[in-house]
Amino acid sequence: MITIRGVHKEFSINGASVTALSPTDLDVSRGEFVSIIGPSGCGKSTLLRILAGLEKASGGAIAIEDGSSSRQRVGFVFQEPVLLPWLSALENVRFPLDTAGVSRAEADNRALQLLKLVGLSGFEAALPRALSGGMRQRVSIARALSYDPSLLLMDEPFGALDLITRDRLNDELLSIWAQTKKTILFVTHSVEEAAYLSDRVVVMTPRPGRIKSIYNVSLPRPRGESTKLDPAFHQLMAELRRDLI
Amino acid sequence: MTITNILTALRSLAIAIAVWWIIVLVASVPAYLLPAPDAVAARFVFLTQTAELMKHIRVTLTEIGAGFVLGGLLGVAFGWLFVRIPLLGRLLSPLILLLQTAPKIAIAPLLLLWLGLDMGPKITLIAIVTFFPVMAGAAAGFAAVEKPYRDLATLLHLGTWKRFRRIELPFSLPPILAGLRIASTQAVTAAVIGELMGATYGLGYLLSLGQENGDASVVIVAVLILSAIGWGFHEVIRLCERRMLSWHTSQVTLDASV
Repeated sequence: MITIRGVHKEFSINGASVTALSPTDLDVSRGEFVSIIGPSGCGKSTLLRILAGLEKASGGAIAIEDGSSSRQRVGFVFQEPVLLPWLSALENVRFPLDTAGVSRAEADNRALQLLKLVGLSGFEAALPRALSGGMRQRVSIARALSYDPSLLLMDEPFGALDLITRDRLNDELLSIWAQTKKTILFVTHSVEEAAYLSDRVVVMTPRPGRIKSIYNVSLPRPRGESTKLDPAFHQLMAELRRDLI
Repeated sequence: MTITNILTALRSLAIAIAVWWIIVLVASVPAYLLPAPDAVAARFVFLTQTAELMKHIRVTLTEIGAGFVLGGLLGVAFGWLFVRIPLLGRLLSPLILLLQTAPKIAIAPLLLLWLGLDMGPKITLIAIVTFFPVMAGAAAGFAAVEKPYRDLATLLHLGTWKRFRRIELPFSLPPILAGLRIASTQAVTAAVIGELMGATYGLGYLLSLGQENGDASVVIVAVLILSAIGWGFHEVIRLCERRMLSWHTSQVTLDASV
């Protein structure tokens, strides 16, 4: 699905060259859930932003293979919801379709389905300021899914939420992933989140940012409360924590 | 603006007129200095019937409307350009500041020399006074569009126009409308300045006519109409703000305070 070869990123601050990302190789298969974890400044967000086309790599090659021919292959969820405050929840979800010239009826239909998928039926007309932080992030996820991208990039999407909301959204994300069969690349700095959600966990280290190791997560799916009691889950979290130091 | 507000305003107006009348009667002020309200009202009716008053009002309103739209559009366009091309902003902002700091009353004769006695110089002057607050507001608004929103536009492959129309402009509407609201009162003043300097029609011309003939009632009629225009104009923009910015927190606090 995604093939990353030798992608790296340097930028200069006051003439001094800083390496944000050392040459990096990574393969992600279709339908896989891969988390990237690491401390601040390890280049995990940079890698994600390069994949989304928000930043240019200094070199290397990225190939995103995709069965569909849609122009918009990548959905992106930011740490903040980034909703347009003058649009209702429904209009925010519809926004990418509206600006792409999709017909009103089709866009409405799609947005209604997606709001239902993220558990926000009944909040179609609400403005973002009337929604809680967790609900706003759900709208943001629905918006990223609106144009049906095969790849979903998530940049610490639940980092600004409280732990209870975060746990609930993790479960909802797994259910959305199971229903939509998207490929998800998920950046986080929470060891628990990475272990709970992923098929594979990529550990990165800072200065210069590079991939240190990759873990296969063999915990059975569907995951839930029993996963959190599984000794293997705790074993994995301990290994990840040790690796991050 | 609720019914209660209108009633309060009408009551204040009635009290002011009553006080005016009492002063004129008790102090027996000569009519050539301060005519009584009924004399002013009679003069208003007379001016209306000779059909000229309506033309004066129409000319002034046209000038204000055209100058305001022109200055507003240019203000938004330049505000956007200055944020988009910072070099252009650095090059042009000293000139614009110079134009802004020059007293408008000092520019007016020059505009009249260049553009004649018609509406041209007045429209230009109104556009100049409208331009600055709108440009400043627009530039502040466009510069404050946060990076994640610009990332969103990039992600959705929005072109320059859609980016402007769907993201940047709505975000910048609060300061742009605040700029327009400030400009609305200045626009009326600018129209009067232009017409006082030289005109063949307009309420400012009517003012100078009244002064020349020593007819205070004509001056008062013109002043009252100008105030009404300024107030109405301001209210129209407040209404736009309430309609267009209901999503914005400023409207919640403004409604509480005003």
